Amino acid sequence: MTPPLPPVRVEKALALLPEIEALGPLRALLVSISRPDERSLWSSSGPYLTLGKRGVQPEELRRRMPQAFHVITEHLQTLYRAYVEALECQQRADGTGAVAALVRAGHGEERVGRLSQARAWYDVALRVSQALQDRRPEVESLRSLGELFLRLGQYAEGARHFQRALAIAEAEFDQTGAIAACEGLGDAALAQSQWTGAQAWYARGLRLATAGGDQRQIGRLERDLGVLARHQRELTVAGEHLRRARECFESGDAAEEMAGLLNTQGQLEAQLGRPQAASGAYREALAWLQRAPRDAGLEVTIRLNLAELHLEAGRFLDGEEEMRRAEQVAIAGNLPGRLAQIYTLMGKLRGRQLDETGFVFFEQAIELSRMLEPSPTTEAQVYVEYGLFRERLGQREEARAYLERARELYGSVGDAADRRRVEAELEKMTA
Amino acid sequence: MSRVVPNGSPASPPAAPRKEETQVLRILAVGAEGGGSGGLLHGIRQWVGEGGVEIEAAPDLPRAVRQLGTGRWHVVVAVLGDHADDDLAWWVDTLRGATAAPRLIAVAAGPSMGLVLRAEKLGVLDVLSLPVRREDFLRALRRARPITEAAVTLPVVEPHAVGQYALVGQSAAMLDVYRLVARVAPSTATVLVQGESGTGKEVVARAIHINGPVSSGPFVAVNCAAIPENLLESELFGHEKGAFTGAVMRKIGRFEQAGGGTLFLDEIADMSLALQAKILRAVQEREIERVGGTDTIPVDVRLIAATNRDLKDAIKQGRFREDLYYRLAVVLIRLPRLGERGDDLLLLTAYFVHQFAARYGKQIHAISDRALELLRNHAWVGNVRELRNVIERAVIVATDEVLRAEHLPEEFRGEEATLPDRPEGALLTLAEVEARHITRVLAHTNHQIGAAAEILGIHRNTLTRKMKEYGL
Repeated sequence: MTPPLPPVRVEKALALLPEIEALGPLRALLVSISRPDERSLWSSSGPYLTLGKRGVQPEELRRRMPQAFHVITEHLQTLYRAYVEALECQQRADGTGAVAALVRAGHGEERVGRLSQARAWYDVALRVSQALQDRRPEVESLRSLGELFLRLGQYAEGARHFQRALAIAEAEFDQTGAIAACEGLGDAALAQSQWTGAQAWYARGLRLATAGGDQRQIGRLERDLGVLARHQRELTVAGEHLRRARECFESGDAAEEMAGLLNTQGQLEAQLGRPQAASGAYREALAWLQRAPRDAGLEVTIRLNLAELHLEAGRFLDGEEEMRRAEQVAIAGNLPGRLAQIYTLMGKLRGRQLDETGFVFFEQAIELSRMLEPSPTTEAQVYVEYGLFRERLGQREEARAYLERARELYGSVGDAADRRRVEAELEKMTA
Repeated sequence: MSRVVPNGSPASPPAAPRKEETQVLRILAVGAEGGGSGGLLHGIRQWVGEGGVEIEAAPDLPRAVRQLGTGRWHVVVAVLGDHADDDLAWWVDTLRGATAAPRLIAVAAGPSMGLVLRAEKLGVLDVLSLPVRREDFLRALRRARPITEAAVTLPVVEPHAVGQYALVGQSAAMLDVYRLVARVAPSTATVLVQGESGTGKEVVARAIHINGPVSSGPFVAVNCAAIPENLLESELFGHEKGAFTGAVMRKIGRFEQAGGGTLFLDEIADMSLALQAKILRAVQEREIERVGGTDTIPVDVRLIAATNRDLKDAIKQGRFREDLYYRLAVVLIRLPRLGERGDDLLLLTAYFVHQFAARYGKQIHAISDRALELLRNHAWVGNVRELRNVIERAVIVATDEVLRAEHLPEEFRGEEATLPDRPEGALLTLAEVEARHITRVLAHTNHQIGAAAEILGIHRNTLTRKMKEYGL
């Protein structure tokens, strides 16, 4: 009997796959079915295992290909149906319905990570909505575009869309639209470290939501204010906002919101130097997540926070275990950007152990942050930690080169706060 | 070379057993109130009576997590929902983070054999089928109760220190290794260390370096399997500035870094044939070239290579150069598996317990008979590395001076689990044996159905049908 052939390494499998968008679902499938080589789990390279070193069986890929076809067909069906629905609405002179269908298609594209395609749908929706008498669809289109730009890291552009949405919503007495626009403006300001602006927008949104009495909206804005206060290191204020947000969500049994909130609560507890409470909050966040529709991104975030908590406490074994769990979730959920964050943290862990081979995690993270929809912000974050890793090992020249690259990347996306942070590190290194 | 001298012997007198029989068993029943669970909570309260058991209820997982954070719990009885597999994974993950690692009794409507096997692997105490029968529940609970365990005192081990590592063991197989290391170390001969993962190849390499003529020089280790293939060459030989995108400055490779010392190439079988050729040239001619460079740089290193593969087999398959093999295997040291080292297991356990107890500020002097038996019965695929890992985790969770079975990972304890709806001690049914064997073979073939079917000697369609039938 011939023994089974060894699996092909993912790094080799991906090298065979051209960077064509149509092959995206195949790439996602390949990554999601990859497994660590059983033989390597306890080998000395086991602790350094990254996505590239996992193995994939061509036979399994062939067998599972119908899954990829199913995903493609389902996605195309969603888009085609949305278009036909928009067309039928047009025929019935129902502009509002047409815009809603187009926006829905855009959301569908966003869900599978096709952000530029989503923008194309929203642009059409906006154009159609601008010809309508009812201006609420225009608010909805602008809001979708605003959120998309924030996701793309184009904060100023996002804020511009939310501003327009707010102006129209207020003129049309569209309270829901106005609240959402305020929240979006707050998010844009927060992302650019403009604390005063963020405070003003969230507070305005909260006033509107309180007047409307929608507990979920109130809860969201209280949570936003809590997040902001945490960034400003006003920890007591943050705790108060989070407590109020929790009351709102608990009364509505909003599982996903509860998970997000408890994650923030965990971060706050960690900042307050209460690791036990932080760990409890993260664990509870994960438990709420189990009841919500699967959100792999949020799960990875919570697990990474938990891992970081272990890392700070010097509990490397627990930290690594949590990171490996996050890795599993990110691989199964096809989240290459999040994988880059996970590997960055793993590299940081190795740096703490003064383990030079930890550089393999940063190299893998850089590669992942450049895959398909490249994210300069993620890449910059990797370079910052890579630089600090090199510095910890006494390799100052390399450390400086990586930090300079991070500064350059932050500059290219207009992230002034992080750029300053990197400059401070560089100055520290010179001193 | 100094030998390992255990001051205590494996047959040391048992440590005093702890008195835990009187301890109140705290049970948290989750999702057991009404609904699909058919009032399980009410049943549990009646079945356990009042003596020595404390029961609380939580409606769902999030609320249970909050309650688990309020103190020490021994058992969680969780009613799994429609997605039992998913629920089970969440529960196991949650309990891992809880204080004192409570055991899980999962309750599901018509659990499949696959669910039961997965639960067993995850260390779940039992999977009970709804409606739960009194005797099944009480049987599961009996196994959850902490029992009085006899314990043996851990011997004090004086290892042969190798930097921050140590050689521990006095089995015949290890004594052979020590003798060979002592003979080869004083020379500058190239050495190939062969052994399964986790058998201590790097420790042996360090021992050779420390006891050799270049001990004052650096010991540089490179893990060839850990480094991405496209970076390995520059990692080994270095590169000049601008040699490729990302080569922002000149880099000195590991061969040069190891100058005047030892270069340890771990997992050498994972190297591409092209790179093997360059290593061969470096070994033969004692000179290298940096990537993108033109100068030839002389290197003066002692080379030690290691592998967990059978290199002769790799040569036959054309994946390893024969000439390189003979250059590396001037002296060949084969390391034994942990399973072949007899009572070294106890010595290593003792050594790691003392090491980690010191690190985590614990006082642990003994190991219970049951824990030791579980360690002895384990397959140890990862050999000493796996044992070290298991002991570190056990020391972290241990609360008194005896290391017990409950401190070992869930999967160790899972090995004791029994299938549901079957009286304790009863033999397995044919279907149960078949399901377990299929699971093992699938794991062995990395879930390749074709290969698994071939090993099992059945058609792949039959295998697929059986997998579906057993819920695997």
